[in-house]
Amino acid sequence: MRLKRFLIRYYPPGIILEYEKGGHLRTKSIDLLDLTPETNPDELVVDIMHSEPLITEARAEQVKQLILRLQQKQGQEVHHRFCFCKELKAHILPLTNVAFDKSGSRFITGSYDRTCRIWDTASGTELRVLEGHKNVVYAIAFNNPYGDKIATGSFDKTCKLWCADTGRCFHTFRGHMAEIVCLAFNPQSTLVATGSMDSTAKLWDVESGREVVTLSGHTAEVLSLCFNTVGDQLVTGSFDHTVAIWDVATGRLVHTLIGHMGEICNVQFNWDSSLILTGSIDKSGKLWDAASGKCVVTLVGHKEDVLDVCFDLSGQLIATASADGTAKVFSVATHQCLVTLVGHDGEISKICFSPQGTRVLTASSDKTARLWDAKSGACLRVLEGHTDEIFSCVFNYEGDTIITGSKDNTCRIWY
Amino acid sequence: MIFFNYFFFYYYFFLQGLLSILRKLKSTPDQEVRILLLGLDNGGKTTLLKQLASEDISHITPTQGFNIKSVQSQGFKLNVWDIGGQRKIRPYWRNYFENTDVLIYVIDSADRKRFEETGQELAELLDEEKLSGVPVLIFANKQDLLTAAPASEIAEGLNLHTIRDRMWQIQSCSALTGEGIQEGMNWVCKSVNAKKK
Repeated sequence: MRLKRFLIRYYPPGIILEYEKGGHLRTKSIDLLDLTPETNPDELVVDIMHSEPLITEARAEQVKQLILRLQQKQGQEVHHRFCFCKELKAHILPLTNVAFDKSGSRFITGSYDRTCRIWDTASGTELRVLEGHKNVVYAIAFNNPYGDKIATGSFDKTCKLWCADTGRCFHTFRGHMAEIVCLAFNPQSTLVATGSMDSTAKLWDVESGREVVTLSGHTAEVLSLCFNTVGDQLVTGSFDHTVAIWDVATGRLVHTLIGHMGEICNVQFNWDSSLILTGSIDKSGKLWDAASGKCVVTLVGHKEDVLDVCFDLSGQLIATASADGTAKVFSVATHQCLVTLVGHDGEISKICFSPQGTRVLTASSDKTARLWDAKSGACLRVLEGHTDEIFSCVFNYEGDTIITGSKDNTCRIWY
Repeated sequence: MIFFNYFFFYYYFFLQGLLSILRKLKSTPDQEVRILLLGLDNGGKTTLLKQLASEDISHITPTQGFNIKSVQSQGFKLNVWDIGGQRKIRPYWRNYFENTDVLIYVIDSADRKRFEETGQELAELLDEEKLSGVPVLIFANKQDLLTAAPASEIAEGLNLHTIRDRMWQIQSCSALTGEGIQEGMNWVCKSVNAKKK
């Protein structure tokens, strides 16, 4: 094994090692999820040298410089106030979802008008229209970090795979018996997972376009799914009140997570894939141990349905959004509710953290999106302008641009 | 302001967010009914929907997409999908055809110039495979206007008597005052009962 070079990853903080083994170039990552500007870099380098044989004494200074760079990035004040906004009359029917590519230079929108559109973020111009679905385009995704392919899941029961540059349709995945409502690429971009109202999830081969396996076991609609960071496990959430962990290689059901008393709205792995977060209309969120399938803690406090949940990228914080119009931020370590975000006049249907984990973004039926300080819970900005409820909101990787998609047929870029 | 007491109907909840839409899409248990509300633009679909939910009808703008509301009636939960009627949106009506239990078609009885257009759209809907056998209620709306054509004239003009493949009913109403709506919804519940038997 010979170390070739270092790559730096800002969000979540980490150092990627590129090394040679048996003539092949490989990479592995050292996750520094606990890194803060206060961390002592010298002690951290010693820790890393203990656990990582590729890092020798000779490399210590280089690693320290990388850590200092990461800390410098963390220490930067976030000045973006998202005062400027551009409205794009994107579709002739309401939008469903929005998604960025990794660099944030392009984003995609899905709509009830059966199209998915690719946009240039800086200019707000439309780059491509992906046409071909016979019904609502509901779930959309870039194959990040590569960003050269797009997958679209539709109420027409098919999923399509597109070239992000030319707009050519590579494959149409047929086999689901009902609407496709969620999808995801695996981290290697070799598989697409789709979840459907037909109670199954399916894995599809990106290269050949063939179905790899059907994940059956749920007794009701599969509403959300998420690959873990390595890509060897998939978690699915269903209207049957359960959550399932699947082994991607074999399609075998590993664990069924039983405990929620209502339909599951969202499921997510944390970065190191040790925990799974779920939200349910039973007014609670739950944290599960991915290895044992046991519930670690139930996150309570909301007065109405929990409609969305998410981890921050480093997996230290959890946010929950509810139909009661509030959102909450919890600590993963202590399970304590740190702050409650109060201000929206309607239910909150989407929530996400900024890549840095310092801001929370919420989208509401009150036609606004709001930006909050994750620590103090203060509302930093009300993103006003949409004339109907907002269905989706998302940050780019740098955390300096926001896209919101609304039932008013438009999307807005805030920067 | 005319006050109308719908003792059968009460506001259930206004659906919001994508999750709620999916919850309405899913295979519904027996007591849930999926109703599609269609018709030309400016026919009064959204006003009708808001009347059903006992909501304020003073500020209604052309529907650029859709509205969904759930209303409780006679032991049923009626999930009503109100889809915009402008010409450019009509091709997308078919997005919503699947799993429809009852079709409600709304006609502006005072807009005689568009009777032919509305008749054509209705005929096309009745030809749709995914709507085959689905009971259809036609609301001859805007009867509060003096120039409104009576329901009997509209029925004749649309050749409704030639419909043989499904249950149908025409009901004169005013979405503005609420008159006639309840009678129509009673028929909806009756036809759902008849179909389920």
